[in-house]
Amino acid sequence: MINLKNADPDFKWEIIKKEGGEGLLKCFGCSDCAASCPVRYFDDRYNPRKIIRLTLLGIKDQVLSSPFLWLCAHCHACTERCPQGIIVAEVINAIKNYAVEQGYCPEGYKVQLDLLRKMGRLYEVEDFDLKKRQKLGLPPIDKTIPEVKKILEYTNIATRVHSKNAHVNPKSEALNSKQIKITKTQNSKQESSPDQKMEKK
Amino acid sequence: MKKYALFLGCTVPIRAQHYELSARNTAKELDIEFAEMSGASCCGFPMKAVDAGTALLIAARNISIASKMNLNIITLCNSCTAMLSDAQLELKKNSFYKKFKELGFSYPHEIAVKHFVRMLYEDIGIEKIKASVKKPLTSLKVAAHYGCHYMRPSYLYGFDNPEIPHTFDELINATGAQSIDYHDKKMCCGGSVLGIDENLAITMANHKLNIAKDSQADALVSICPFCTVMYEDNQRKAEAKFETQYGLPVLYYPQLMGLSFGFDNNAVGIRFNRVRPNALLEKIGGQS
Repeated sequence: MINLKNADPDFKWEIIKKEGGEGLLKCFGCSDCAASCPVRYFDDRYNPRKIIRLTLLGIKDQVLSSPFLWLCAHCHACTERCPQGIIVAEVINAIKNYAVEQGYCPEGYKVQLDLLRKMGRLYEVEDFDLKKRQKLGLPPIDKTIPEVKKILEYTNIATRVHSKNAHVNPKSEALNSKQIKITKTQNSKQESSPDQKMEKK
Repeated sequence: MKKYALFLGCTVPIRAQHYELSARNTAKELDIEFAEMSGASCCGFPMKAVDAGTALLIAARNISIASKMNLNIITLCNSCTAMLSDAQLELKKNSFYKKFKELGFSYPHEIAVKHFVRMLYEDIGIEKIKASVKKPLTSLKVAAHYGCHYMRPSYLYGFDNPEIPHTFDELINATGAQSIDYHDKKMCCGGSVLGIDENLAITMANHKLNIAKDSQADALVSICPFCTVMYEDNQRKAEAKFETQYGLPVLYYPQLMGLSFGFDNNAVGIRFNRVRPNALLEKIGGQS
């Protein structure tokens, strides 16, 4: 049950202010995004329409603490089909950015941030790699790119990522409390996927 | 001779040297010259979910490097393509440009960002590629995997059809191989959720492996290192999870193209393919 007593009517305005959040208000809830979503096809814990509806209603804490927000693959299948022209994947991304500001950041991103700060790239370039590249006739690459650190300091991203002590709550029931349901794909006779459904139409 | 700045990103130069090697070697054959982008970093995409503004600045700094060289950027990774294209658009906005300037970066020449495969399609053309084919791969049936950020979001690219893409299929057909039609061709590889929920990511990858195998494809052909991580590096995991055997080779498009140009296995880095494409190589009459 959604309890509107605790709703925060300003939540949607906070999202609209974020990079990519602009289109949020145009949503009329048709669910084309959810129907087109490849992630939702496999795992109905993730539902872009539900995230957007809850955001518009101002159910802030539940949206932000939900781990399902982070399942968006940012593939833009939804963006292509939104009849309102909302860049849906960017709206979801804006909600993620806001969640980080509020102290909800998955651990994996913290690790990636540290790597970027140290090296400016995600994988360490070891001498072994450089030798291997040389053997293959590939040009050398920079081991570290310190200017990335300069950008990270300029935007002060670290304080956001490490702000407060809120964590993504794996037990959140806000969006869909169904058990993780991963169905084994069967040869040929599987249910038609979003693409096929569109093609049939 | 066409000249571009080659943007490598994080994964390609360390984990997918065969992609880079085959791309460089086939490019040479097609009279394409690549200039190195000294000082180029991660494209910024990994930070987008944390803070889009930071990711865009990292991307814009990379664009700045090529802009100073006055060369358009060619990317090998789909996600890098999307991130850099996004920043290229962002640089036209005053508020963003101000921050970019404050950091001491410059953008002297407006430049474009293109994926390697898009560049082949638009700037080189199918006919020129066909003309370079010395050993048509007519015995091969392969499954094209476009990957999400090759043609989506369409507002960034305005290239190909985001719902029914065709450019990559045409490029595959140019090598003599047949690009098969199979359902869920546009399905996402799951790479973006790998760090959040591995179980789900593997399930997504398995879906296409299953269909490609079922369609009797000799290989899946990829144009993104992230997608290949899902389909090739994680193929064993999918096999274990779903109690099956795929043994489906995953080639990068320039590898396939190189083979059709008559290159030997070393020139396209076949030994780096984690799922051995021996049967495929025998089929085309090469050494396995």
